[in-house]
Order: sequence, then C-alpha cells, then structure tokens
Amino acid sequence: MITDNILTANRLERIWLLAKIEFKLRYYESKLGLLWALIKPLTNLVIYFIAFKIVMRSNIPDFEIYLFSGLIIWDFFIESTTGLTLILQTKRYLYEYSNMSKIEIYLASMISVSLGLGFNFIILLIFLLFGDIGIGLNVLYLPLVFLVVFVFSFGVALILSNIFILAKDIHQIWPLASHLMMWISPLFFKTTDLTGSLPGIEHINPMFGIMSNFRNVTLYNIQPDFYLLGINSIQAIIVFTIGYFLLKKIGKKASELL
Amino acid sequence: MNNKEISIQLKNVSKSFKTYNKSYQTIKDRLLNLHKKNEVKNILAVKSLNLEIYKGECIGVIGRNGSGKSTLTKVMSGAFLPDKGGKVMKNGTSLLLNLGVGFSHELTARENIYVNGSTLGLRIQQIDEIFNDVIEFAELEGFIDTKIKYFSSGMIQRLSFSIAIYAKADILFLDEVFAVGDEKFQKKATEVLERNWLENRTAIIVSHSAFLVEKYCNRTILMHKGVLLYFGDTKKAMEKYRALD
Repeated sequence: MITDNILTANRLERIWLLAKIEFKLRYYESKLGLLWALIKPLTNLVIYFIAFKIVMRSNIPDFEIYLFSGLIIWDFFIESTTGLTLILQTKRYLYEYSNMSKIEIYLASMISVSLGLGFNFIILLIFLLFGDIGIGLNVLYLPLVFLVVFVFSFGVALILSNIFILAKDIHQIWPLASHLMMWISPLFFKTTDLTGSLPGIEHINPMFGIMSNFRNVTLYNIQPDFYLLGINSIQAIIVFTIGYFLLKKIGKKASELL
Repeated sequence: MNNKEISIQLKNVSKSFKTYNKSYQTIKDRLLNLHKKNEVKNILAVKSLNLEIYKGECIGVIGRNGSGKSTLTKVMSGAFLPDKGGKVMKNGTSLLLNLGVGFSHELTARENIYVNGSTLGLRIQQIDEIFNDVIEFAELEGFIDTKIKYFSSGMIQRLSFSIAIYAKADILFLDEVFAVGDEKFQKKATEVLERNWLENRTAIIVSHSAFLVEKYCNRTILMHKGVLLYFGDTKKAMEKYRALD
C-alpha cells in the first residue's frame, strides 16, 4: 500500500511536471510569451468578426463575445487533437527507455492544453464582466461541460496519434476533416439556424452540443441542455474507448514502428 | 551467491522484425496499392532465448555487429515487446542508456534531469537533492539552463551517464556507453564501475571493449546471429567469441 502511494504520488508529480514544461515550451519561449496564447483566438476573432458581423451582418447579439467563447473551446479541441497527433513520435524519448506508460504522456499534454484554455477563459471572464453581461450561477455547470470536451478531445487525440503510426498523412487529412467539423458547428452560426438547415446535426457533430452548452453556462447563464450533454457524454466515452483500444493494439508497438 | 533474487528473467523470448518489400506509410499509398501484393520478409533478430539474471550481477553482452546484442537489450529493457509466447520479467525500475536517448533535445539540462529522474521513479524532492551532484559529475556547471540540442554528443552522454548513476535505477542497461566521451570522462565512468554504486544493482553492459567486459563482468552473454551461443563465465565467453570466424 505504501509503495503504491509513493508510486501514485510520483506519477502525479511527473504528469504535472511534464504538463508545466510543455506549457512553458509552448508559450514562454517566444518573446511575446503568454500573449501568444491570446493572439491566436483574438486574430481569429477579428477575422471572423469582419466576415460575419460587418460583411454578412449576423444578427446574433453580442456577436464578438459569442464568437470568442466559441473560439476558445474550438481552439482547445484543435490544439489537443492536431497538437497530439504526433505525440508518439515527439515524446518517444519518454516511453521508449523507461517505465512510463503512454497514457500518462497523453494526459500531461492534455493538461498542458487545458492550461491554455484556462488562460483564455480568464480573458473571456474579463470580456463578460466589462461587456455588462456578467456571469451567473450556472457557470457552476462548467466543469461538467469541460469534462465532456476533455474526454472527447482526448479520445480523438488517441485515435489520430495511433493512426499516425500506420498512416503518416493523417497529419494532413485531419486539418481538413476538422475544418468541416468547424463549419457545421455553431462557432459562427446560431444553433437554431444550423439545426434548421441541417436537421440532426446536433447528434452528428459532438462539438455542436459542447459549444452551445459552453455558451449556455457562461454567456447566457442558463442550464446546459442536458439531453445534448448526455449524448455528448456517450459520444465522448465511445471515442475515448476506441482511442484507448487503439493505443493498446497499435500504440504498444510504437517504438518499433515509428 | 546463494539466495539469489531474480532481477531479469527471459522465457522463450524471440524478436522478429517484419520488413516489407515496399513500405506504405500513408493512406494514399495504401489505397493505391491495395491490389498489389507486398512481400513480407521476417527477420529473426533474437531466437528463442531463455535466461535468468540475478540481482547485483554485472553481465556483459558481446557479439559481432548485427548479432542481436542491441535488440536483446531493448527487449530486456522493455523498449521492444517480445514475439508471441515470449515473456520478459523484470524486478524493479530500469534505465537503458545509449548515447543520450531518453532526452528531449528541446529541453534544457535541468528539465531533462527532472523529467528523466521522474520517469525513473524519483520524487521531485529527491531530484532536488541529487541535482547538483548530477551536474557536477557530468561537468556541465555552465550549461544547466541550455537546451541540450546545443550540446555536443559527449556532453549529452555525460549527462545521461551521470543521471543513471545518481538516479539509482535497479537495473542498468549500458549499451556502448563507454565508447565515446573524452579519455578523461571515460576513465571517470569506468571508475564508477569500481565504486560501490553498483552494489545491489544489476548492470548489463553491451560493449566491444574486451578489456571492460573481462574486468567487470562476472558472467557474459555471447550472441551470434541472433542465437545465444553461450551464457556464463566471462573468460570462456571471450574465448568462444575470439574463436568465431
């Protein structure tokens, strides 16, 4: 039991250590530092704002905050999936010659991406407070919504990185596939417009429910749509299970195949 | 040595690699070549091997180039999985050392020491304690916060050797680690073998240096064309090795 505890403590320390180092590598290396974490969603914000508000005259109220809140969740999904596609290759030094299990390596990277989301979330809070929208008690549901997007992204990352072992061009294919996912998500559109023109989309694209529930609890201070949250949870668990299965099947031979 | 505690045990371990006539690395390749037959060649790098290594032993691994030495150590360390039916049992933490692998070149020496130490099962607090010794032994005082991609191969090797010494892994696989580094460091590294840091730890030394193996290893594995030709007394192993054509 005691050795078990020591092992677990060591493992947790290690995951946190790796997450911190990765976060630092991602943002602190450049001169602009942590600002980079902000520049990406802000740049996208400006681009999409021009396109959808100024040119297309979107009638969504507080469109800039609507957009920003969607962008930071979308960025989390992209950073964790695209960012982890090559993980078994780039983090090879961690598992090849030691006793560290691969799932810990994934977890560390997922935490590191989550730290980025946390930082962006603070910016969103500032927007909300200064934009006179405020924040309500329903934000307490946020951990639930976050858990779903975390598990879902984790699962997709597992699947992609293990396919990468067998087919390197998944690295080129995924950005295209995810791009399609973005355009059928409520990132720029009203959820009702989207379901009106693409019936059933809320059941197909998990990011649909995740994004709209994220806005429900932060922007609109209403309860999440529990029906969609339930469906997304099931989707997340299925995707994660497939990813975990692939890691056990293909990933265990990663050090020979890569 | 009565009461021998097993450190590593291999049962019926083989390791084969599949090589394909053409390698399809992408989805496009796979789709375009669905109808074509791809010749598969099986290369058996290590053939059905059984052995037991006891705690505290220093084992040499010798053999010609391509005899399966490195594959064997990689299978023993867990980097490679043995083929179906084979079993590798290890007792304790292990560290495979060969020329700076296990490091990320994007990280600094400091970060690498912490990451490496932590993967070996040390607590952060324990790493804090050995940190200065590791740096001092590796002679890298001025380069603590330098990314190791700017290091020379000798510096990287010194660092990983130094971590291995202080990190106290139960089993050490030393794959040709005495081959590089300048003369001064080589001397220092071999001296380490004489000091008592190896006590109660198991070391597996892969080396072409007959001198080193003869001096420090009590038992030696002789590999030849993937087969374990001999495992036992170092002197006899060396004789057989020299007799190989």
